Amino acid sequence: MNGALAWVLVALGLGVIGVRRRSVAVALLTVQALILAGIALHDAANGGDVASAFALGLRALGLGALFAILVRRTREPRPVRAATPPMIRAGIAVAFALALTWLVPAMGLDSRTTERAALALVAFGIATAATRRATLFQVMAIVLVENGLALAALGLPGTSALIELGVTLDLTLVVLVAAVFHERIFAEFGAGDSAALRSLRD
Amino acid sequence: MTSRETLAWATLAAPALTAAVICLTPQRLVTRAAVAGACGTAALALALAALALADPGETFADKQIAVDAAGGLLLAVIAVVGLASVLVSPAYLATVRTSLFSVARRQRAYYVVLFAFWTALLGVPIAGNLGVAWLLIEATTAASALLVGFSGKARALEAGWKYLILTSLGLGVALIGIVMLAAGVPGGGLGALSWHALPTYAGEPGTALVAYLLLLAGLAAKIGWAPVHNWLPDAHSEAPPPVSALLSAALLPAVLLVAWRSEHALAPIVGLRTAQDVLLAFGLVSLAVAVPFLWRPMAWKRLLAYSSLEHMGVIALGIGFGTPLALAGVAIHIAAHAVAKSLGFYAATPLLGHDPRAAGHAVTGIGRTQRPLGTTLGISLGTLAGLPPSPLFVSEVLIVAGGFEAGRSWAAAAATALLALGFLGLAHALIETTSGKSHRRDSALAPGLRGVMVLTTVSVALLAGLALAGVWLPGSELVQALTKGIS
Repeated sequence: MNGALAWVLVALGLGVIGVRRRSVAVALLTVQALILAGIALHDAANGGDVASAFALGLRALGLGALFAILVRRTREPRPVRAATPPMIRAGIAVAFALALTWLVPAMGLDSRTTERAALALVAFGIATAATRRATLFQVMAIVLVENGLALAALGLPGTSALIELGVTLDLTLVVLVAAVFHERIFAEFGAGDSAALRSLRD
Repeated sequence: MTSRETLAWATLAAPALTAAVICLTPQRLVTRAAVAGACGTAALALALAALALADPGETFADKQIAVDAAGGLLLAVIAVVGLASVLVSPAYLATVRTSLFSVARRQRAYYVVLFAFWTALLGVPIAGNLGVAWLLIEATTAASALLVGFSGKARALEAGWKYLILTSLGLGVALIGIVMLAAGVPGGGLGALSWHALPTYAGEPGTALVAYLLLLAGLAAKIGWAPVHNWLPDAHSEAPPPVSALLSAALLPAVLLVAWRSEHALAPIVGLRTAQDVLLAFGLVSLAVAVPFLWRPMAWKRLLAYSSLEHMGVIALGIGFGTPLALAGVAIHIAAHAVAKSLGFYAATPLLGHDPRAAGHAVTGIGRTQRPLGTTLGISLGTLAGLPPSPLFVSEVLIVAGGFEAGRSWAAAAATALLALGFLGLAHALIETTSGKSHRRDSALAPGLRGVMVLTTVSVALLAGLALAGVWLPGSELVQALTKGIS
């Protein structure tokens, strides 16, 4: 895989954790997923690979459209403020990504760059979920993690179309359910803010 | 196709087909269609489980389906709990005032999602492949999160949201481990992740160990092992009672089976002792985290949820000890926990009808005003506490004895101390729940109690049978098959 392209994917992922507006994050995430679909199509060696690439592309467009609809239907009076400022969020995410790439040994993918980029995206996803309060950003965090895993799957020596299609389907289902919750949380609390979800404590 | 393979596909097709039929059935027939579909699904799953358990030495496994003794045990548990959950659902639905779904679609949506959840759940123990097992576990998340938030109340939304986000991220971490393993097994493709192929991993043992740790850490988020258990008490306490039963009694041990199979498949590469140590660590930490909560006065379903954390820890310890004695304990523990825990959750519907304060407060003196309900709660809690002659007492003795037999004296001793403390906490709750000071004088039969009383009778018979199984199970062919595993 082209190393520069892998780092473009990482930069887009870092953008998701840093940007303030949900619509910008949706755009970054959709572009990232479409690039992944393009790489998958470029590297496709058989019919199964082509089907997986098309599924990735459909997933990118479908989820992008769903997120855009959610942003429109749940307009916030002002963006939900994250508990930590953008630069600190980005710093936490980069530090976590560096720690993960240092801790995880060579995975056996087609290049070490692919491995590092995949791990960085997973780290960015987890950091996004941990540091952003807006519920829509937390759903995007799951998609970011799955994009990292899709990148890793593209670097596997032998892949299974069944597993890749299954992961795409599962992710779509999870995001659809999360969308239902996001809308209900917005209706119930007047904002898509996970900080409002703190009544269940022991 | 062998009879096991045919039955396996039929077992998965039946609940999926029922969900489709419910979508098309007239409103007035939805409940009947659900009950009929549940009976058919349970019959098929129990037939497959009976085949697997009757001849435990024989294992069927290909790239997609695997039916062995451990899978048979879990299939039986999921079948029985799933059937009972569908049977008690009409009583629950009759009490629902608010929901994520409109009044017109509420009942149909509930059953469709419940059967979708059951389909994925039944697939987990018979998945012949780590990748397929992961897909099915992730599929259970989507369906069960909708059910957790079914009431649409603020607390249910919070619980469902936490469950969805935390378990999805956890499963993402597990998938990194799976990708690492797939990269190291010769051949690649779907076959590389089959339970038979995983032990042929040809990469560095260090990489396999990291993959194993990531896999178990990710699965732990779904099993509810501490310290990644935060969603568990919330989801189990806010979900509809029939769904809480499925989550606790069936989903957690089904995912735990995947962790067990992974440990078995990867032990030759990462080292048996190391592989078991990870399970022992999760087991002891889960017990240690659960015990203080078992001592606190707590709402009924929340107390049961923390008890799930304790029992998943006990099962992890049994698998980690790995001796035939401990594995005999694990088999009894999984089955007895399922019976007692689901009974406790089913009793929550009449309990909340009798005393709505029970949703947020510890219940006391139920045996004084509602003797049948108090008896059910007492049987459930007494069994879960491990009160002799409860089968969970038998299984815990077997697991601890297995720990000493394995030379893991410190872990077995720590487990004994924690189990004793947990017992004291639950015994206190048992006394308060059944014969403490009563806040109510209403002795009218609580709604939905008749069905729960029938289930109580069946449960007592099952629990007695499981306690007796402790006598013949150690040294049996079934335990030998559990020790051998799928590979």
